[in-house]
Amino acid sequence: MFLALKEMRRALVRFGLLMASIGLLVFLILFQQTLQTGLITSFVGAIRNQSAPVLVYSVDGRRNLQGSIITPDLQNKIVAVPGVGSAGEIGQGTFSVTAGGKLTTAAIIGYQTEGLGSPTTLVSGRLAHADGEVVALASSAGDGFGLGETVVVQPGGLKFRVVGQATEIGYQASPTLFSTYPTFEQAVLAANPDARATLPAVIAVAPAPGITDAELVTRINDAVPGADAVTRTDAVASTPGVAQVQQSFQVIFVLFGLVVPLVTGLFFLIVTLQKASSLTLLRALGAPSSALVRSLLFQVSLVLVIGIGIGIALYTPLSSQTLGSIPLSFQTGAVVLWSVVLFVLGLLSALVAVRRVLRIDPIEATTGAGLGR
Amino acid sequence: MRIAWLELRRRPSRFVTATAILALLATLLMLLGGLLDGLLGGSTSAVAAQRGDLLVFSSTAEKSFVRSRIPPAQQATVAQVPGVAEVGGIGVAQLAARVPGKGPRDLADVALFGYELAPRGVPAPPGPGEAYADSSLERKGVRTGVTIEVGPARTPIRIVGTVNGLSYSDHGTLWSSADTWRTTINANLPEAGVGPGVFQALVVRVDPGADATAVAGRIDRATGGATESLTVSDAVDAIPGVSQQRSTFNQIIGVTVVIAVVVVALFFALLTVERTVLYGVLKALGATSGTLFGGVVLQGVVVTAIATAVGAGIALLLAAVIPPGTIPYTLLASRVLSSALFLLFAAIFGCVFSLRRVLRIDPASAIGGGQ
Repeated sequence: MFLALKEMRRALVRFGLLMASIGLLVFLILFQQTLQTGLITSFVGAIRNQSAPVLVYSVDGRRNLQGSIITPDLQNKIVAVPGVGSAGEIGQGTFSVTAGGKLTTAAIIGYQTEGLGSPTTLVSGRLAHADGEVVALASSAGDGFGLGETVVVQPGGLKFRVVGQATEIGYQASPTLFSTYPTFEQAVLAANPDARATLPAVIAVAPAPGITDAELVTRINDAVPGADAVTRTDAVASTPGVAQVQQSFQVIFVLFGLVVPLVTGLFFLIVTLQKASSLTLLRALGAPSSALVRSLLFQVSLVLVIGIGIGIALYTPLSSQTLGSIPLSFQTGAVVLWSVVLFVLGLLSALVAVRRVLRIDPIEATTGAGLGR
Repeated sequence: MRIAWLELRRRPSRFVTATAILALLATLLMLLGGLLDGLLGGSTSAVAAQRGDLLVFSSTAEKSFVRSRIPPAQQATVAQVPGVAEVGGIGVAQLAARVPGKGPRDLADVALFGYELAPRGVPAPPGPGEAYADSSLERKGVRTGVTIEVGPARTPIRIVGTVNGLSYSDHGTLWSSADTWRTTINANLPEAGVGPGVFQALVVRVDPGADATAVAGRIDRATGGATESLTVSDAVDAIPGVSQQRSTFNQIIGVTVVIAVVVVALFFALLTVERTVLYGVLKALGATSGTLFGGVVLQGVVVTAIATAVGAGIALLLAAVIPPGTIPYTLLASRVLSSALFLLFAAIFGCVFSLRRVLRIDPASAIGGGQ
């Protein structure tokens, strides 16, 4: 171990470059993992963190709140399906609003029945009960959506007061407000006087006692051809764009994840070949192969630990920032998972160098053949 | 240089792993760029294709088509502004379409545009109830001659031709007359309804030689601040998520280039250490540090060029095998070229790390002077 450390101190630039490259790769992987989570949460957090266990879109809605419209006829058919315990309307629209003195965009989600579409991650204040009251996305508090602040719909001038804040209720990466259904209807008509009607985007339903969410979904879809019922979890996963974002990032993760062991393995293989004669001499002087392998693995482990540490150190301050309108957060699970995966892959990649060390024949110290290449 | 070249030819195995790592990084660069271009193209190509200099939205719309309304009187005002050559209204509605022969739940996502000035690649507006369809919709069965039913009201629209590469918000586009668009949006999206003659935005062509930015200012003053006029490229950037996607991906691409620099530096630093004795001999025989460093750079550039070619091959293969509608991936020639240039820079810059060691080599070491 002493020799291993001494070698690293003497070749600081080489080992430093390796640690830097591993650190940058780890940083990029963690940052992208956080970005992926932040993106998905800011796009569909409002669906994930609302209280309805089953959402029923129109088939034409393509699982998109903005595209789905439930006509009165369709709504009547949905609520008449045996197994529906309770049902309520949910409407959604994206509006221009003035908040904190600035014109900005906000998504408004109106729900008819508390417990069927209301936010579940309230962290301060209370839910909206009266006209003009809203619960706002907590991370947008600094943009004029703080508790007690007033938000004005433009055009129309309809005023909302923020009475509560909830985390991770973003929709379409916009500041998001949850209101009662009548407040949502007022917003639609204020912003667009040409609007013909205000129809719900989805019907939130809860199963009757003894019926599971999945059974209710099947019953509704079988009974009502124009309805597209999904559980809350499936609604999140099947929102347009979510699967594409996840697939894109998976490909990137795999490729970045491959670079770390390749760089580590190549580095230690070359270093092992370069010091072949010294290693042969050590073996001839009585050093066992296991000691040389331990020394190599010690160096690999140290480089990986420091490299991963650099990556986490670069990632930590960035993980608490907001990227555009996407709030990021430190992903402990991702940090642990990637640290373990990259450490194990890095160690495995050093096996080629270990094999070379084990092949050293001490007799070659007298012939100068070393490892051979 | 000659020795460096000979080493590359006679000992290629020495460079294989570094080439593999750089090829992986080249693939990553092109993949990241392809994802960015795919995402941006899917969101913006229909807006970018507008054959105009300016897009005019209502000032409270935050540059959003959905929230913008331009009444006929405002359009007339804009047309009178000095410097404006031509004005045409435009609007869009995102809906689902039922296609003959497809199942009742197998719908196609479409963005129906109503327009007056034809964008690049789109003919003049078709007749009532007709539309041109983007070729990306063909895989959903939307082809010339087919009549599809759009939206929950099942408004019939007959496809009379095909256009290429025009998407909006990841939806294939349909291009119809203004009246067809208005009828369809009012029947299917009552909350987003539009009155007679109303558009969501205006496409403005300015007089030849006129300053588009100055004309934009005049338009907004003429409408009393009721409009917000911006260039087409600014309108593209204003589409939600576009600028954020671009800056985020560019940052990731930048860090990947830095990683490539570090990998090249690491690899050639190791090779230089290995060749210290050889370089001492060559220096003793009269080779200059510049010649030796030139050899290192040559090897770095050749390794990177091969890695880039391999990376481009993999990136092209990915473009061929990724099914349409899954990962938004578009590989452009400009992206391959820019990635190659980034990697070339990484190769040369990475080799500079070895320069110090090459300069420090004492020719006397070749005859034991260093011992």
